[in-house]
Amino acid sequence: MTIAVIYKWAPDAQEASVDTAGRVDFSRAKAQISDYDAVAIQVGRQLADATGQGLVGLTVSGPAGGQPAATKAALARGLDSVLVLADDGLDRLGPSAAASLLAGLVGQLDEVGLVLAGDSSIDVGARMTPALLAGQLGWACLTDVERLDGSASQWSAQRTQPWGVETLSLTGPAVVALSPTAAPLKAPGMKDILAAGKKPVRLVGLAELGLTEPAAGQLKATAHLTGPSRQGVVIDVSDPDAAAQALVAALGQAGLLIEGRA
Amino acid sequence: MSFELTDEQALTREAVRQFADTAVAPLAAEIDRDHRAPLENLPAMAELGLFGMIVPEDLGGSGAGSLSYIIAVEELARRCATHAVIVEAHSSLCCWPILTYGSPQQRQAYLPDLAAGAKIGAFALTEPAAGTDAASLTTSAKREGDQWVLNGQKVFITNGGFADVFVVLARTDPEAPSAKGISAFIVEGQSAGLTVGDPERKLGIRGSSTTPLIFSDLRLPSDALLGQEGQGFGIAMSTLDGGRTGIAAQALGIAQGAYEAAVAYAQERVQFGKPIARLQAIQWMIADMATDLEAGRLLCYQAADREERGLDFAVQASMAKLFCAQMAVRVASTAIQVLGGIGYTESYPVERAYRDAKITEIYEGTNEVQRLVIAKSQLR
Ligand SMILES: Cc1cc2nc3c(=O)[nH]c(=O)nc-3n(C[C@H](O)[C@H](O)[C@H](O)COP(=O)(O)OP(=O)(O)OC[C@H]3O[C@@H](n4cnc5c(N)ncnc54)[C@H](O)[C@@H]3O)c2cc1C
Repeated sequence: MTIAVIYKWAPDAQEASVDTAGRVDFSRAKAQISDYDAVAIQVGRQLADATGQGLVGLTVSGPAGGQPAATKAALARGLDSVLVLADDGLDRLGPSAAASLLAGLVGQLDEVGLVLAGDSSIDVGARMTPALLAGQLGWACLTDVERLDGSASQWSAQRTQPWGVETLSLTGPAVVALSPTAAPLKAPGMKDILAAGKKPVRLVGLAELGLTEPAAGQLKATAHLTGPSRQGVVIDVSDPDAAAQALVAALGQAGLLIEGRA
Repeated sequence: MSFELTDEQALTREAVRQFADTAVAPLAAEIDRDHRAPLENLPAMAELGLFGMIVPEDLGGSGAGSLSYIIAVEELARRCATHAVIVEAHSSLCCWPILTYGSPQQRQAYLPDLAAGAKIGAFALTEPAAGTDAASLTTSAKREGDQWVLNGQKVFITNGGFADVFVVLARTDPEAPSAKGISAFIVEGQSAGLTVGDPERKLGIRGSSTTPLIFSDLRLPSDALLGQEGQGFGIAMSTLDGGRTGIAAQALGIAQGAYEAAVAYAQERVQFGKPIARLQAIQWMIADMATDLEAGRLLCYQAADREERGLDFAVQASMAKLFCAQMAVRVASTAIQVLGGIGYTESYPVERAYRDAKITEIYEGTNEVQRLVIAKSQLR
């Protein structure tokens, strides 16, 4: 049996800059394995070791995701191998298109009973891919899972809901998205980094899988933010009281304050 | 000529940076204030593999190579110079001579535990009356039957308070010319006859344990001799060649941390209605600091790269240490200048960087010693 982890080689939105016209510039944001995905890989590693299964990483990306820098970064986190669908144009897929291609990758593996995912992607952050992938596969899906234990086909998941902590049991194949608290985030060790280059990497293109780039449901990130543009208000904070008043006035002027009683 | 890091070196930087940001930075000011070693972080540093980077895989390390190791020291120092020197003294000054001069039995006996961080290493050369003039050391090792008996005193030993393995230099032949009569030994921290004195209270790297060691009739088995009898001074000097690149990296990291703090502050601090980063005076300081850092990094990485490729690197290591040490003091001082009054207080890490930077001009060969080495190479 194999446990699969889906991950994304994507730039961190926090490193992107926004200019005064609202244009998002990702050029200085380096692509990486996000902390969310690193947690999923870490949980996958623990489960794979505990249940004697293999741990495979799956990703759909533009050509950069198939480069050694990207595959080694994923493998150093603890995966045994990766299966990468890298092709032109695949770096800007929306969740539905990505999920359908990921389902194609899952189909390439023998005996997968569990697919793990991080809480969210760092660039788009739609938090929909795991559910859509489960839909494609016809599998059960759970999100926000804080703890996952079990054997090859029977899993016990724990998550916190507004009304308390719930424990769910999962039988049969499932896609599970893990909460960022599911494992303490650890940096890859020096031995893991050096071992990464020696682990198996399978790179495939759309043609090889007999797939085409999904036409429907694509989400192309647009260049402009639709929110209010920056006002560029500078407040002198040397006098705290005056600064607070100036801030309230500026927020009021921008229509961001609703008057009322506390 | 390529200035690109390999994927592994780049990943090492990311991994150590992540660790330094999350586990080291939160402790840095506290251990400095309390003059205490960050012992609680040693297990996590061991798990990350920081203590086995220069030890080959078959001896339990990762064999990551000199440049990856240098990058790790730099990244630790960017957040805390103390954490950096714990790794540096352990690796460059203890693991390296055992790896290079140890017998197969000695390597097997010590390196797997040192690489795993189950044991921490240190190096004991300096004595009260033998600093730069290390060849005048007087700690003695006398042969008695199949044992060596060690007597004498060392000072300023990094990791002294908690090290398990010491590489110790002692005089085995009082009749031989000074450098020729010195031998190196491996001394275990629990040995009867070893007393570790109180740690020094220092200007900087305050969390680093710097202690005296006193040897009183400390008995060592004959196989504690490292290398050949009389080879000790050569072992010490070649050990320090590698160590110099490590201290250059420590200096580089200290400077990088101070620089980043200065840039962030300059972009936030508003005077005369605009961030001070828009003032040309501040921009020039930032430009000078960035240029200094780039030059230091090139020198330091070049020395490490030469070592990794098996080329002579002693002179490059001296140049890297001399330049980076002075650069770190300069950059940390400029960083304080950028921050103004608040930079002089403990509210920001730049005053600590300034205090930490100073030691890099002193240990593992002072600036003057580096100049002697460099000048000798130029005037052959
Ligand atoms: C925090 C700390 C940690 C240390 N860790 C270790 C350690 O782990 N192991 C270890 O063995 N030692 C260690 N040392 C010792 C350190 O390496 C020495 O302090 C250093 O080599 C200088 O020796 P000294 O202090 O005796 O100074 P001195 O040798 O007395 O030098 C005083 C001044 O004279 C100058 N000078 C001396 N000789 C010459 C010359 N021939 N030409 C030009 N100038 C000269 C020096 O550059 C310096 O400016 C440490 C020291 C400190 C402070």
